[in-house]
Amino acid sequence: MNPEQPQPKRLYRSNDRMIAGVCSGLARYFNIDPIIVRVAAVAGLLAGGVTLVAYVAALILVPVEPGEGEPEPPRPTRSTGAIVAIVVALLIAWPIVIGGGFLIAGLVFPFAFLAAAGIAAWWAVSGEGPGREPGEVAKRSLLGLVVLTGCGILFLAGGWAAGTGGGEVAAGLVIGAGVLLVIGAFTRSVRWIALPATALALGVGLVSAADLDLEGGVGEREYNPSSASDLRDRYKLGMGQLVVDLRDTSLPAGDTPLKVKVGMGQALVIVPRDVCVAATADVGAGHVDVLGHEGDGVNVDFEESRRARVGGKRLVLDADLGFGEVRVRHTRDFDRDFHSDIDQPDGNRACAGGDA
Amino acid sequence: MHRPDIPALASGLALIALGTVLLFDRLEILEMGFGAFGPILFAALGVMLLTLGLSRRA
Repeated sequence: MNPEQPQPKRLYRSNDRMIAGVCSGLARYFNIDPIIVRVAAVAGLLAGGVTLVAYVAALILVPVEPGEGEPEPPRPTRSTGAIVAIVVALLIAWPIVIGGGFLIAGLVFPFAFLAAAGIAAWWAVSGEGPGREPGEVAKRSLLGLVVLTGCGILFLAGGWAAGTGGGEVAAGLVIGAGVLLVIGAFTRSVRWIALPATALALGVGLVSAADLDLEGGVGEREYNPSSASDLRDRYKLGMGQLVVDLRDTSLPAGDTPLKVKVGMGQALVIVPRDVCVAATADVGAGHVDVLGHEGDGVNVDFEESRRARVGGKRLVLDADLGFGEVRVRHTRDFDRDFHSDIDQPDGNRACAGGDA
Repeated sequence: MHRPDIPALASGLALIALGTVLLFDRLEILEMGFGAFGPILFAALGVMLLTLGLSRRA
């Protein structure tokens, strides 16, 4: 090669990097300040995520610039022009895709997100960055996704164990992993254990914090007792929807207690209009709506103290829910059209003083 | 003496603390809601990330 001949300008990921050197490399290519490209990238991210797609594409397709003293690679497998064309095409196509709702809109963004998540996960576990070569980037992204999947399974397993009475074992495993890490710190490092152990702990912790009980089964349960004597001491469901429909139940004057417990999902109690409802609800995280009187958030301690009219009927509801919603209504019409006005409750009017 | 791997040591201690809190909660020695679990979890994650970041910088 003639040393006098100017080298063609090529796009590289720069070694002067914040993440993977894409912005810095682009800035160097166009001879502008990297901060301009970074600000534009963040703006694009906030404006719908277009730059995330472009960034991941560049991460996979654009090689890292040769370091100082390293030999020039023989020839890039893809020309700079093709890479720029792909990135620009993505930039142009993205708003069209978003606007048109094409099938690709549902494919490209999740793919880019997964690739980025995989790279981040692999970095967290191994300490290795995205890599220098496209194949390396793809491999590390894939490995990261495998790690994430494993952690997801551990998270669910921890949650399930805690919800079905095996939380002590799962907590013991977390402690065991911690002990292994401490021992490994002095012998042979096993840092990788930290991530799966944290995923397990997260599952156990969330379910424990919500006091979630999954032992009552999974699915939909509906009960239509015909009289107060048919009412159970407690209605219980692990996960799903529990409906106790009391509209055809012959309730006596005075108080009728009702206890419901749902691990995750919805507890729906449907009461006749002539019944006053007093309720207490303990919800780990979610929403309570007793005939329009609402509470929501985490660790919700809801109380609706109402008295029945003289000679009237009162349902005393005691609800215990991990995640989800406790709802008391006079009808269940909202099931057919969830967003309609029919869902508006008409209040706790059977109580003394009306719907106060 | 072999120099300990500080991030592994700190992560291990953080996990032991986290696991102990979870175990105590399961055994009903203490009662943990989201208000307690959130800060405990983030403190443990913070210790792990901080030591890892500092070790990489070193």
